[in-house]
Order: sequence, then structure tokens, then C-alpha cells
Amino acid sequence: MLVVDDSEAFRKVMIELLVRVGFHDTAEAKDYEEGMQVFRKERPEIIFVDMILPGKSGVELTKSMLSVDPESKIIAMSSIINKKMIREALEAGAKDFLLKPTNEIALNAVLTMWSD
Amino acid sequence: MSLLSRKAKAPRAGGEKGLGITRKYKLAPGHSYVVEESPPDISFDAFVNIVSTVDATSKKAMGLAVSRQHSELIRQKYGLEETPIYWLATRAGQDVISPTNLGILTHTLVQFVEDNPTGIILLDGIEYLVSNNDFNKVLRTIDQVNDHISQSQAIMIIPVDPRAFDQKELALLERNMEKIASKPKQ
Repeated sequence: MLVVDDSEAFRKVMIELLVRVGFHDTAEAKDYEEGMQVFRKERPEIIFVDMILPGKSGVELTKSMLSVDPESKIIAMSSIINKKMIREALEAGAKDFLLKPTNEIALNAVLTMWSD
Repeated sequence: MSLLSRKAKAPRAGGEKGLGITRKYKLAPGHSYVVEESPPDISFDAFVNIVSTVDATSKKAMGLAVSRQHSELIRQKYGLEETPIYWLATRAGQDVISPTNLGILTHTLVQFVEDNPTGIILLDGIEYLVSNNDFNKVLRTIDQVNDHISQSQAIMIIPVDPRAFDQKELALLERNMEKIASKPKQ
């Protein structure tokens, strides 16, 4: 699992949640560049991508990751529900969307749906 | 102001546009749920997720929200365009319900359940209602709406800040409702 978010505090909470629901193999990145670096190295099964990142956006990151590995499962995240942004993320290839701050129930539902 | 002027606005046909994402909360029709949390993040996430997605039979739920937060803030944050949202406030205005007027609140919610028997209600701001009324009056309001929920396929979600109530009040609030776990399992 890879969490890409510019908020260190959110990344920490998200990693803790992932560990709590049974996913111990986790990595994190703060922006597009770091996200692509970790993605190329780790090839995580599921990537949680904040749509609003400093520099290149989450949608751009989604497209780049999928161009490297079309089988990647990307879950878009945002602290607001902007329908246009969610539509763009899904059109770019994201599988699902999580509202931040997320919780164990919503995270479990997404992981049940998309993890192998 | 007449009682009927507060009748819940009918959600537009079709309700919220689908987001094309997963239904993450599996809440049972005919049940009310309490979520012990502050701020009410899980409650709003569940409500918005359910009105913006389809269930296993591809059906969407109409929603109605009541909150201490201003309706425009809620619309902006959660992308709700069609869902009626009532602001609990002492100011006069459209789509405002006074916290002291529990009769209108009850009527609005009951009417919504009757008009939308598979709908979902988010009742946020219980602490504000209790600070403006006797606790037992608020409890009676919730029980009354809950009775209608139980006789329908509707759902009600009530976020509760446990710090605002003593143990007896919390037990009374939760006695006829199910709990959505808000605290992580240790």
C-alpha cells in the first residue's frame, strides 16, 4: 500500500489505519515526484492518492502511475467532495474515492472491494 | 410561521447524481444509528456516501440533513446539490429550523420518512437541541421519528458527542438505536 499526501499527519493516521486493518506493508510519499519514485520501486497493489498535491495534481499522478502499470489500483482522496474532481480522477483510471479524514469502516469497504 | 411551511422539501427526482464509487456503508433499512464522535465525520461520510451511490439493487436513497452547521458549508464540503439541508439556528430564514421548535423538527423528519420510505436522515446537532430544550423533550422527538423509521425502510444517522451527555442520557439516547463503531478496535 502506498499513501501519497502532502500532510505528514494525515499520512501517519492513514498508515496506522492500514496497519490496524491488517496491511503492514505500507509506504508513503508527499508529492508527485516522491510518489512516482516509491511507486516504481515498491509497485504497491493499492495506492491512495490525495487529489490536491503541491505541484502536479493527484489526477496527473494517477495517469502517470497507470501509464507505468495499468493494473495499479488507485484510490482518490480529498477532504471535500468536488464532483468534477472525482469524475476526473475516475476518468483518469482511479478505482474509487475516499473522503478525508477516512475511517476504518470506509477504508475496510474500499480494501474489501479492491484488494486481491 | 405555519407548520406546513416547514414541510420537508421534496428532493428532486433522482436525488444526488451518482459519484460512480463504492457504497461503503451497509446500514439496515428501518434502523436508526448513533455514532459517538466529534466532529461528525463518519456520520457525514456515511450519509453522503449513501445518497451518492446505489445499493446492491441499483437503487439510490433520497436524503435529508439537519445540522448545526450552515447548509451552504455542508453543500460545499460534501458536494450535495439536491438534498434538502436544514440549518438548526435561532435566525429566521428559509430552510432554518429553530432549536426550540421541536414540533416543526419532528414534523419535518416524519413527513420526509412518509414521503421517502427508503430515504436517509442525518440528524446532526443533538447537543444544540439539548442545550435549548429539556433532554427528555429531545429524546421524545428522536423516539417519535425513530418509530416512523422502524415502520419504514428508511434510515436515520445521529452523531453524538459523548462528552456532552452523562452516562444515563447516553444510554437513553442509544437504547433504541444501533451503534456505528467510531472508535478503532484495539
